[in-house]
Amino acid sequence: MSKSEFWTLTRRLASYAVLCAVTFVVCFPLVWALSTSLKPKSEIFATPPTLIPRTVTLENYEALLTGRPQYFQSAGQQVSSGTTPAQFFTRWFVNSMIVTLGSTLISITVSTLAAYSLTRFRYWGRNVIPYFSLLGYMVPSIIFVFPLFLVMVQLDLTDSLLSLVLGYVCITLPFCMWLMWAFMRSIPIEIEEAALIDGASRVQVFTQVVLPTALPGIIAASIFSMIVSWNDYLFGRVFLNSLDNLTLTVGVMLFFEGTHVDWGLLMAASVLMTLPMAILFMALQRHLVAGFGAGAVKG
Amino acid sequence: MRNGYALSDRAVGLLFIAPFAVTALFFMVYPIVEAIRMAFYSYNPLRPDLTTFVGFSNFAYIFNDPLFWDSFWQATVWTFLSIVFQTVFGVGMALLLHQALPGIAIFRGLLLFPYIVPTVVIALIWRWIFNPEIGVVNHALLGAGVISQPIYWLSTPSMAMASTIMLNVWKYTPFVVICVLARLQSVPLELYDAAKVDGAGPIRRFLDVTLPQLKEVLIVVIVFRTIWTFNKFEEIYLLTKGGPGTSTFNLAVYSFEQSIANLRLGVGAATGVVMMVMLSLGSIIYLRVSGFGEDEKAP
Repeated sequence: MSKSEFWTLTRRLASYAVLCAVTFVVCFPLVWALSTSLKPKSEIFATPPTLIPRTVTLENYEALLTGRPQYFQSAGQQVSSGTTPAQFFTRWFVNSMIVTLGSTLISITVSTLAAYSLTRFRYWGRNVIPYFSLLGYMVPSIIFVFPLFLVMVQLDLTDSLLSLVLGYVCITLPFCMWLMWAFMRSIPIEIEEAALIDGASRVQVFTQVVLPTALPGIIAASIFSMIVSWNDYLFGRVFLNSLDNLTLTVGVMLFFEGTHVDWGLLMAASVLMTLPMAILFMALQRHLVAGFGAGAVKG
Repeated sequence: MRNGYALSDRAVGLLFIAPFAVTALFFMVYPIVEAIRMAFYSYNPLRPDLTTFVGFSNFAYIFNDPLFWDSFWQATVWTFLSIVFQTVFGVGMALLLHQALPGIAIFRGLLLFPYIVPTVVIALIWRWIFNPEIGVVNHALLGAGVISQPIYWLSTPSMAMASTIMLNVWKYTPFVVICVLARLQSVPLELYDAAKVDGAGPIRRFLDVTLPQLKEVLIVVIVFRTIWTFNKFEEIYLLTKGGPGTSTFNLAVYSFEQSIANLRLGVGAATGVVMMVMLSLGSIIYLRVSGFGEDEKAP
């Protein structure tokens, strides 16, 4: 082994060691949550704590998915006697799915159409709107959540999933709009012109030429929108109040209302709540890497 | 943009922008205007009939409220420390990940993952691992002899502040990593080769080549993150509810508590207006440094 090879190897090993250490610290909270969720009650409080469960059990997940009313005998005032938050878990999961997919669908449709219009047609304000949209994105939700709630009161939509769908459109649309605009702007217009000259209609051009080209942008905007909607707590907290209609984030926080906190159950809920985003993230990873450009291959 | 083509079918253009215009007017512009208007009214959501115009007295109220100023300073400390750690760790992790090593994609995925974990989940995990009696962090620290008494992470003011900062840094450092990594991959390799020829060591190369190249993206990231961090709500509220006492209040939590607990929507809205003014100042700085934002990256 030559001297330079030796150094290369040493440096690589050192890099891996540092990477592993950093990754361990970063991932520890999640690993610990997963580990806790798989432990039986007795082992959760064991001293010393075990990272790898000695006994692996799915009882916490089972309790959530079947709504076994075992814990939380004295849950807070929102929960009437005989019901437990765990009983609503699957329902909340579905609610979260509905509002996430619903708001994303609307945001993406509206922003894609708008971005196409802004980049392909001439009218007053077409260069300013995206920047105002970006400014809108900077405004924190806490500022307009109450006025928006009052709008929902006027529309008689309070405590409905639809109000939340509209609420999430408000938070995601500005950024989706900005992203789609930036993306559409970078798509060369010549192909569309050629298709138009060949006799294609505007709608054909849009669906068959523009949309496929804009797909990476649409995917990026969708991922963003889904993460924001799925993770939100504030809007759900302000807009909803009946147990049946809650989303996961708001509902799971109710698990704290009792006198007794079941950490195993909570960690199982946390894992299940993170799972859809984790799956999405695996898909996103490819797009992230692709987005970072071919320059990724570095010598 | 070709003239004949662009002007040909204005109707389609307007039709495509219409959904965005309607949504933006009703659910974005209107609530923000309402949020500003509400700041000048005394508004109790339970007694909307008693709503009266009060001029600037809501602002007078908050500026005379010691809690408002406490929240302001706590938010400043929280933001400053969060940004410092995020930037340092973010650049460090980006440099680590910017190496041509086999398997680096796995590390990249794991290190970016916290960004997509719902804040509710992080807050739950934090409450579990930082639990003073049964949490694994105190266990480890006691076991290693670093501390002799358990640390009350969430029930002493300074430690609660530290815990929320840790949560914030943990969740948002990946954002810095993504932006810096994207920039690193476009730094011309010739610059490094030239520096090597000149005999610059790794530290010199970082200071003289890498850092100047990162300057621009770091300014953008720091301004963006400062604006967002200052206005964060869930990251604090879900972990400490602003407590113990009011020691982790920021302006968003202050506004929320005024609106929800004290039912003074006007006071909450006035706080929101103050936040918006500061946000606009931040945005102006951003627009200045980024040259009207021609090329930002998706989060």
